[in-house]
Amino acid sequence: MAKHDASRREFLVRAAVGAGAAAGAAASVGLVPGAAAQEQMNHMEGGASSPGQQHPNGAEHGAFFNHADAATIAAFTERIMPSEPGKPGARDTDVLNYIDLALAGAYAELQDFYRRGLASLDAHCRATYKESFVHLTPEKQDEVIAALEEGKASEFTYPTAREFFVTLRIHTMEGMFADPVYGGNRDFAGWRLVGFPGAQAIFTPSDLKSTAEFTRAPIVGLQTTAKGPMGRG
Amino acid sequence: MAIEKTDVVIVGMGAVGGIVAAELGKAGMKVIGLERGPRLSTADFNPHDELRYFQRQDLRPNWKRQPVTWRPNPSATAHPMNVLNYGNQAGGGTVHYGTLSWRMHEDDFRARSHTVERYGASAIPEDSSLADWPVTYADLEPFYDRAEYELGVSGKAGNLQGKKIDGGNVFEAPRQRDYPLPALLDDQSGVLFAEGARKLGYHPFSSPRAIISQPYHDRASCTYCGFCQSFGCHVGAKSSILVTKLPEADATGNFKLLTGTMCYHVKTDNSGRATGVSYYGPDGSDNTIEAEIVILAPFIYDNTRLLLLSKTDKFPNGLANSSGQLGKHVMAHIMAKVFVGFDDRFVNIYMGPSAQKHTIDDFNADNFDHKDAGFIRGAQISIGPADLEAGPIGTAMAMDPPPGTPRWGAAYRDFLAKYFSRYGAINAQTENLAYADQTIDLDPNVKDQHGMPAPRVTYDWRRPNEKARVEFLMQKMEGIGHAMGASKVWRGALSPGVPGAHHEGGTRMGNDPKTSVCNKYGQTWDIPNLFVIGSSTFPSMSGFNPTLTIQALAYMSADAIAKRYKSHPGALV
Repeated sequence: MAKHDASRREFLVRAAVGAGAAAGAAASVGLVPGAAAQEQMNHMEGGASSPGQQHPNGAEHGAFFNHADAATIAAFTERIMPSEPGKPGARDTDVLNYIDLALAGAYAELQDFYRRGLASLDAHCRATYKESFVHLTPEKQDEVIAALEEGKASEFTYPTAREFFVTLRIHTMEGMFADPVYGGNRDFAGWRLVGFPGAQAIFTPSDLKSTAEFTRAPIVGLQTTAKGPMGRG
Repeated sequence: MAIEKTDVVIVGMGAVGGIVAAELGKAGMKVIGLERGPRLSTADFNPHDELRYFQRQDLRPNWKRQPVTWRPNPSATAHPMNVLNYGNQAGGGTVHYGTLSWRMHEDDFRARSHTVERYGASAIPEDSSLADWPVTYADLEPFYDRAEYELGVSGKAGNLQGKKIDGGNVFEAPRQRDYPLPALLDDQSGVLFAEGARKLGYHPFSSPRAIISQPYHDRASCTYCGFCQSFGCHVGAKSSILVTKLPEADATGNFKLLTGTMCYHVKTDNSGRATGVSYYGPDGSDNTIEAEIVILAPFIYDNTRLLLLSKTDKFPNGLANSSGQLGKHVMAHIMAKVFVGFDDRFVNIYMGPSAQKHTIDDFNADNFDHKDAGFIRGAQISIGPADLEAGPIGTAMAMDPPPGTPRWGAAYRDFLAKYFSRYGAINAQTENLAYADQTIDLDPNVKDQHGMPAPRVTYDWRRPNEKARVEFLMQKMEGIGHAMGASKVWRGALSPGVPGAHHEGGTRMGNDPKTSVCNKYGQTWDIPNLFVIGSSTFPSMSGFNPTLTIQALAYMSADAIAKRYKSHPGALV
């Protein structure tokens, strides 16, 4: 299982890097998962919720996405929340990994939604730009997303373009900001971005009186805590 | 295929069920409570997990297994909707609620008469079915008091036996004594809101909440962690039915709770009496409870649904529906929002109890002059996080960016990063009027996991009276935002007609069996041993959260059953 975890992880990372490179985005942040995140992954995949996460085909597949779909989702979500130095986005927080695990488990009923949505997205991009989404420039990718948001991509039926956009936006936010046990928010990077200290069990009267940023360590997660200042960008 | 006999069977173990079970158990009656969800404990709510409880709604029914559908009008197709207040465990919605605990104003109980007296009958929209309650504030005051003291509500009196007290709600109806617990500590959003509101001459106060500010009845006090709305309390400081009345009911020795059970039918005989209920057990078994008294206390949809599904030759239009009013006059609050952002300081709104933290009551009910306003009734205005919960997922879902800032991309990322801990949402909880064509019926297309038709809500809040009120309130809230010294003040998007929070109505109470389903005790006019208790009986909704009024009604009904009905079964009115 552990060997599979590592290879699956590697697969998703490669897909994300490929997408980022194709889109011309700077891969400025290390993509090797942190020890804490890896530990959480192992915990999850060994836990009761794991059946959907064991993929028989091993290294060349995610828990749900194939290589092309993983690259598309990585590129799409990275435009919804772009990564910049000091400003972690979808790639830096591992949103792709979150969505991949969710579709193999809690959101399994959305597999068809994603398959059809991705096919429609590809049809739209090829009809409009004669290229797949991952090969478009970031500016063109933004045009595509804006068209989906406005419901102006006629290649979509189910899901509608707007539904696909809204769902991708929601799942990007979940991957950025859900506890790291769910596979995203790597090393609490999403929480650090906005300055959320996690599931603190208590705030004191002086915390409530403060007009300053809350920086007291640690950030509290379900399985792990993180020491040090919040370190926002 | 179990058949059991009992004195009282209660369907739903939430805000009403727990109170009635405890009180009737104390009166020596044998009570069985049916609850479709599990019985959790305080230890289950640690640690807090926003994805699980807020985003995936783990303490609410799964919409795929227990769907409620909504359509804006009869020509639209209904689709499943998310319902904020629906509970799915022993304790019901009080396990995950925001705990706002209001006494309604005196004029809230007679909204129609009061409006006619002050503004004339023409002030009421022609198609509105706004009605007075068959109970007055004075009738209910002792039961409000019991609920506050037995459950544990924190707040500061603003009207003590007629004496107005600064710092409390000076618009509240007179109370006989103060709250049992002092108000919760203010967080920075409350401090800013209070300063801004006072500058404008308004009367801000810390919202009364069923969260204990000091140790009470062997329970630990609030730790201000901020995980309230959508979450169970990890220290048991939230005065949910789970930690208050269910232990009391257990202690009577007369109470049995059946979890994982789904009531699907109320049984009646040819004499017109209720004889019990049928339910599916957790193993799918089909079971019967025979009871002298049947009390329905689920969320509002399930009252109408059960009564419709239980129709017989004697009651062909559903039980308790000789008036034809069953399923009508459905109401819901909507939340109109104005956001405030601060560049020069942090607000850290994720600290402290999360929902509707600080309030002004100046624009609620008829607390201000509506002459020439173009609408009647008002709203409670409060400060809090965008979706009554302040984690980053909820904020990304509900904090609309200001005009000119997109909802995605680098500019959105930077907006969220900057304002997540520097913002607040001013929120107007509007008293939307009752209209007869706002209904609950049985969805012909969507079924639940048991094969029962889903309850279908037909509702659209966007009526002239309601839209005019929202515009008025938006302007007031923008004024408060500027008075708070915010760097940015902007309006949130309005919902597309969908009912917001606190759905009420469907089994309206009244004084007349021809125009209402039940009397003030929730006793149905048609079947005297069948009671419906909860916000489905509300004739009007007020701008306040309904739970404390629901609980006061539950105490009043339990009192009448124990003191009068038990010895003399029959009509209580």
